[in-house]
Amino acid sequence: MKSVIKNLSGVAATALLGAGLAVSTPSQALPISECIAPADPGGGWDFTCRSVGKLLLDLELVDSPVQVTNMPGGVGAVAFANVESNRADDSDLIVATSTVGVTQIAQGRYPGGADTMRWLGMLGTDVGVILVDDDSEYESLEQLLETVVEDPGALAVAGSSGAGGWDHIRALMLAKEAGMPDDQIGSLRWVQFDGGGPAVTQMMGGHVDVVSTDLGEIAGFIESGDVRVLAVLSEDPLPEPFAELPTAASQGYDVAGYNWRGFYTGGEVSDADYAAMVEDLQTLYDSDEWKEVAQQNGLVPLWRGGEEFDAFVRQSIDEVETISREIGVIQ
Amino acid sequence: MEILAFLAQGFAVALEPQNLFLALIGCVIGTLIGALPGLGPVNGVALMIPLSFNFGLPATGALILLVSVYYGCMYGGRISSIVLNIPGDEPAMMTTLDGYPMALQGRGGEALGVSAVASFVGAGVATLGLALFAPLLVQFAIRFGPAEYFALFVLAFATIGGVTGGSLIKSFLAAFLGLLLGSVGIDAVSGVPRYTFGLYELYDGIDFIVALVGLFAISECLIYLEDIRGTSRPTLKLGSAIPGVRSAGRCAPTIARGSLIGFVAGVLPGAGAALGSFLAYMLEKRWVGRDGRFGQGDPRGVAAPEAGNNAAAGGALIPMLSLGIPGSGTTAILLALLLSMNITPGPLLFEQQPEMVWGLVAALVIGNFVLLVLNVPLVSLFAKVLQAPGWFLMPMVVMVAFVGVYSLNNSAFDLYMMLGFGVLGYVLRKLEIPTVPVVLGLLLGGQMEFNLRRAMSISGGEWSILWSSGISVGIYLFAVTLIVAGLVYSWVVRGRLR
Amino acid sequence: MSDASQDNAGRVPGVIGDRIAGALLLALAVGAWWLSHDLESGFMQPIGPGEYPRLISLPLAALSLLLILKPGFNQRWPGRAALVRQAQTLLVLACYAGLVKPLGFLPASLAAVILLIRLFGAAWKSALISGVVLTLALYVLFEFVLGMPLPNIPGLDW
Repeated sequence: MKSVIKNLSGVAATALLGAGLAVSTPSQALPISECIAPADPGGGWDFTCRSVGKLLLDLELVDSPVQVTNMPGGVGAVAFANVESNRADDSDLIVATSTVGVTQIAQGRYPGGADTMRWLGMLGTDVGVILVDDDSEYESLEQLLETVVEDPGALAVAGSSGAGGWDHIRALMLAKEAGMPDDQIGSLRWVQFDGGGPAVTQMMGGHVDVVSTDLGEIAGFIESGDVRVLAVLSEDPLPEPFAELPTAASQGYDVAGYNWRGFYTGGEVSDADYAAMVEDLQTLYDSDEWKEVAQQNGLVPLWRGGEEFDAFVRQSIDEVETISREIGVIQ
Repeated sequence: MEILAFLAQGFAVALEPQNLFLALIGCVIGTLIGALPGLGPVNGVALMIPLSFNFGLPATGALILLVSVYYGCMYGGRISSIVLNIPGDEPAMMTTLDGYPMALQGRGGEALGVSAVASFVGAGVATLGLALFAPLLVQFAIRFGPAEYFALFVLAFATIGGVTGGSLIKSFLAAFLGLLLGSVGIDAVSGVPRYTFGLYELYDGIDFIVALVGLFAISECLIYLEDIRGTSRPTLKLGSAIPGVRSAGRCAPTIARGSLIGFVAGVLPGAGAALGSFLAYMLEKRWVGRDGRFGQGDPRGVAAPEAGNNAAAGGALIPMLSLGIPGSGTTAILLALLLSMNITPGPLLFEQQPEMVWGLVAALVIGNFVLLVLNVPLVSLFAKVLQAPGWFLMPMVVMVAFVGVYSLNNSAFDLYMMLGFGVLGYVLRKLEIPTVPVVLGLLLGGQMEFNLRRAMSISGGEWSILWSSGISVGIYLFAVTLIVAGLVYSWVVRGRLR
Repeated sequence: MSDASQDNAGRVPGVIGDRIAGALLLALAVGAWWLSHDLESGFMQPIGPGEYPRLISLPLAALSLLLILKPGFNQRWPGRAALVRQAQTLLVLACYAGLVKPLGFLPASLAAVILLIRLFGAAWKSALISGVVLTLALYVLFEFVLGMPLPNIPGLDW
């Protein structure tokens, strides 16, 4: 179902905004009128756009609904390329991104680097989880990792990123921490699905053994008891309702793997517009409504904005690049 | 009994005047969007979402509106297939094969009638399945892993030979051409661009809507241009829909089989309505065998795919609601709507929000009835459209196709590509190479490749995984049986002719 | 399967047409195979991005060869007048595709529709009248009924 969904959900919203907006200069009235989710509806980036778009309106930071445009393809590369070549100075546009997107940049899979865009801010972070089916023989992370170290090819591990993507890297970081030698990394079997949900259901069907993905997207399966959480990859235990879930650190494996949710905009947006957008996002972050939405969806609210976020993104890219090189994803 | 109580409650909600009105509006808009070439259920549903927000509809109302549009599109898609030989959307593609020949024979009204009844039954079967067996079906659907999906796609392509009764070589050539075109774009697993020649418009692959509209609508116009005086063209008369309702009775077994096949295809996420209607048509053709005049205006060739695609549309709601997995572009958008209403589909939805689920089921039932009632009298309206002179009708079709495709991405690139596919479709038709397999290859190729690669990742490169489960072996055996039966049959027939 | 019994009206032997098509498709298959060779980035993947296109291009090539060896039937190709008309139509549509955004929907469509109706064989008078009607009807349908934004005329919001 590739690009059919592109744009469509938002098309009518623009129409309803009244065609007048399209010809006037939108940056004066509205700092943000469109959010590109570089994926199909239903995933994390789509959720980021939709929830933030809705809150911007609810909080009266914008006058009319924010148009959500789905632009799937190449784990965000299509949206990145599109903004770079067509919309670099579009001062009413934000694009959802996350650690997953930044991982792609670090591995050189986007048509540009961090300098191509202006990084606005992050609003919260999702956290990695390692799951097995509820009737799996593995009761603890230790058991699982022992098997993996002993025979790296024994288990099929699935997630929503491609080979070498963030879900995969997080699983490999754990395996490395557990003592798997570097030359064995290639034997671990990694299977990509279209999202965390499909990966989990394929595990429930017995087609793969372990899933490494983000908590938010599959929280429903944890609540229903269909899956067993062996570890959450956060430094500290999560807030309710996930406080009971064991962290990897508490089981002796010092690995944390977050997936923050944030936004970028085109590289040629003026400083004034950039500042206005950052300010809007910060106001949104400070609201109680955001805290509530975040909590409901398994996100931990966390703010970094403007220059600070820009520096953070660059630092993340460096870190992921280092890890990717160690693991052998890039040479 | 608990179910009945919930269902009664659902009907009470869905029959409120406001909701009934929304269902009616949704059905009309859906039928219209479905009938316009280039616009399908995905567009219809996507267009309605902001609208429902703007009118401040409550969650149930919004959902009723959207599923009415969804079902309406599945009904509407067949209209232009039958009347113009141009499918309104991809699941209606198979309906052109027998629907248009029927229209050429002056039995267009009958075709519209048969297809309306078949659509009704298909959607009804799916709604019943959703209401009664959703949890069970989910257990069935998750047994399909990558290897099993791959087998399913192999089955689809194995039956593609003889899709239009033409040369086997040409059918398969068309299918492989479609599959190759389907591999254009950034490879999602490795992130490597394939055959994109540096054009970022191609990063996300070739949009099958663009291809479908080009191959069918634009090429149809080019065919028309060969003979604008229409000396060699039969004048289309639609006739009444009443014989259609009667012949639908004769097609009852066909409709039942088509509904079941479509429903199963719909329940499997990623297979979708197009596969449902395709398999329903091809398997029915094999089933009926020598008694059928498939491809030359057999009512069963209209009934099977229409029952199939509507059943698949309903079936696709099951994985969406109970697993949170959208099986198609349309259900992906419905999922997005639910999420934005703070309803999280997933394993707990049926327990935690039964009123939502049963309200939806009731809405589907009501929408389905509204559509049937709406569709049978509509036939005379379409007859009037057909009486418009060709010099008006064809430019109208082209313009609708252009605007529809343009609205996908607001990109002129898509329009040029559509023209390219139009020329390709014209040449293929002149060469008697069927275009249906091209679209099918483009549509299913991506999923077929992903599932093959996933299966190989799971097995660590062992090809034997592809035939290591009972389900996949069963599917392969079925495919082989169909091919062998087809070969034996044509050998016998040819032998007799000589 | 039933092709033996189909009537052959309007069909011609496809010796030339099918062979040219076969040759082109063969070239496409070979090209696809060739281009798939620098697609080597299968980090830890048993099947990389290049294998599948290669897997497809093999049977495509084989079937193209078969078509060259065993050409079938074609539909009768159009005469010169029809070809010219088709080419003109495609030209109008290509210009329309390029101009709809810069000129706006209404003027570009009006011009395109009138020319199209002419090419489909109507007289100028009916072309002008129907062109206006059709353009406005499409505008109302998409812009207002379906709520899809169409490109505006520069400087105006309609």
